[in-house]
Amino acid sequence: MSNQIIHTDMKGSGKILAWNRRWRMNRMLIIGLIMLFPLALMAIFASAMTFLDPLSIDASSQLLPPSLDHPFGTDNFGRDVLARTIYGAQVSLRVGLGSMLLTAFFGIFFGVISGWYKWADAIIGRFTDSLMIFPGFVLAIMIMAAIGPSELNVVISVTVLYVPQVIRTVRASIVEFRTAEFVDAARTVGVGDFRLLSVHMFPKAAGPVMVQLSFGFAWAVLVEAGLSFLGLGTPPPAPSWGNMIAEARDFIRTAWWMITIPGGMITLAVLGLNLIGDGLRDMLDPRLKNRGVL
Amino acid sequence: MVEYALRRVLSFVPTIIITLTSIFFITRMIPGSPIAALIGHQAVGAEQMEAITSDLGLDKSLIEQYLEWFPSVLTGDFGTSLFYEDSVVQVVMERFPVTLYLTTFSMILTILIGIPLGIWASIRRGRAPDYASNVFSSLGMAMPSFWLGFLLIILFAVTLDWLPASGYRSPDFGIWEWLKRLILPVMAQSLAQIGLVVRMTRASMIDVLDQEYITMARAKGLPESRVVLKHALKNAMTQISTVVGLTFALGLGGSVIIENVFALPGLGQLITIAAVRRDYAMLEGGIFYLTLVALIVNLAVDLAYAYFNPRIRHAT
Repeated sequence: MSNQIIHTDMKGSGKILAWNRRWRMNRMLIIGLIMLFPLALMAIFASAMTFLDPLSIDASSQLLPPSLDHPFGTDNFGRDVLARTIYGAQVSLRVGLGSMLLTAFFGIFFGVISGWYKWADAIIGRFTDSLMIFPGFVLAIMIMAAIGPSELNVVISVTVLYVPQVIRTVRASIVEFRTAEFVDAARTVGVGDFRLLSVHMFPKAAGPVMVQLSFGFAWAVLVEAGLSFLGLGTPPPAPSWGNMIAEARDFIRTAWWMITIPGGMITLAVLGLNLIGDGLRDMLDPRLKNRGVL
Repeated sequence: MVEYALRRVLSFVPTIIITLTSIFFITRMIPGSPIAALIGHQAVGAEQMEAITSDLGLDKSLIEQYLEWFPSVLTGDFGTSLFYEDSVVQVVMERFPVTLYLTTFSMILTILIGIPLGIWASIRRGRAPDYASNVFSSLGMAMPSFWLGFLLIILFAVTLDWLPASGYRSPDFGIWEWLKRLILPVMAQSLAQIGLVVRMTRASMIDVLDQEYITMARAKGLPESRVVLKHALKNAMTQISTVVGLTFALGLGGSVIIENVFALPGLGQLITIAAVRRDYAMLEGGIFYLTLVALIVNLAVDLAYAYFNPRIRHAT
């Protein structure tokens, strides 16, 4: 480590170096946010960004290539691909946000309990282990087969898949501090379990959980798209990006715009979210700094 | 080492029991009826409906169903598929090789490209090769594999007409006939895995290269290639092998989608169709065998990990 610091110090000097260092610290976070910003705008202001209905079928304008009227062309039902892409951002972000909020709630709750109470640890541990046996996507398919395709059910199944990992992270942080002196001190002055766990212990786990949730968000977008592509996720005609790719598969020879645009959007969203995760991790946990992308 | 291996293999037994139990309860958790899917739009009387229900054992309680189901699956009998009208295990075994070829070839490609690229990025840290490999791996991990599959089809099958767009031939038709239909699926499946392996290889190599014994090895005047490939890589391998195992499990999950894109008649395609039709027996059997492969690979990785890392081997 020490020779690395000397090495960087010799490279630049003064102001430029300081700026460079600060930029390097956060550059993944910033690039990620820049990538995600237009997608978030699209999702929030969908109805203001396009006057076209993503669901209205127009037999006279099927499979039109990109033009001024339809910047991303139209699909096999004559629906505007741009409008569908914009409303598709809503589906992806809703699923990602919804599943990560649920994951945070259950993951933190069960993680804290599992790290603190030994009797609960045994039960919760078995439960998370048995969920983590399955290759992730297979578990998603199994759950969707049981509860049926719908957007809400995608949220549920992503949550079930991701909660075990958050439980483990939270549990590990709680276990690490269980015997810390501040815990004894708090106990001595009569702080109860609830206050101890929520005010003193939970903040220790908050950083790693934030990082995990931002990667989880990216992953939720991919899972939603994959499930919808297989016909097990958001049911058509809702404009999910995965649905759009599934509908486009019969037209890859004739209408390239139908498949390239939703896939590009998924890539952009996942890339942006992963970069935000990397940036947060570097900020919150410098020990793992080397693992970053840029 | 032998003792560790034995212990690890024995721990397999409860894992299998947990796997089977989870599969049973998750797939039947919500009483969504497979009967509706079975009869489709035919008009069926209430009596006939009842007959089908009791035929399938769906009139019994979940626990009763489980107690009947569990002993029979232990003997490898997952029952009869509602739609294929054939024993589940038979159908699964027919489809199995396709999935195994796909995942194994992807894994080989992932290791051959991912590990060297990760090492290269780590020794050229902060320079062009590092940036290039980072952009490549981040993009690879962000692209949905099924979408990448279609892009490959557009490029190599539609535009260039070099390879078939989809379908499968068994090796009996000749090696090339078999192989050329696997090239695009393997590429589509591998890219995300390569991205992950590159990143993890780079990270663990950098951890190791920063340690003092590496400086020592360099100070002794050992050639750089020997320092990197022997001293550093052997230690980094413990972490890398774990990631490779994880990647394989990920790949098995991903193969489900890839098989759908390229119309490969593998286990993944079978599972998806069974999921859509709620063909419980097929779904349970298919998922069990897919998970079993992941577990076996995981076991192999753990043993390799112990081999590379004596601290694990000798711990109680």
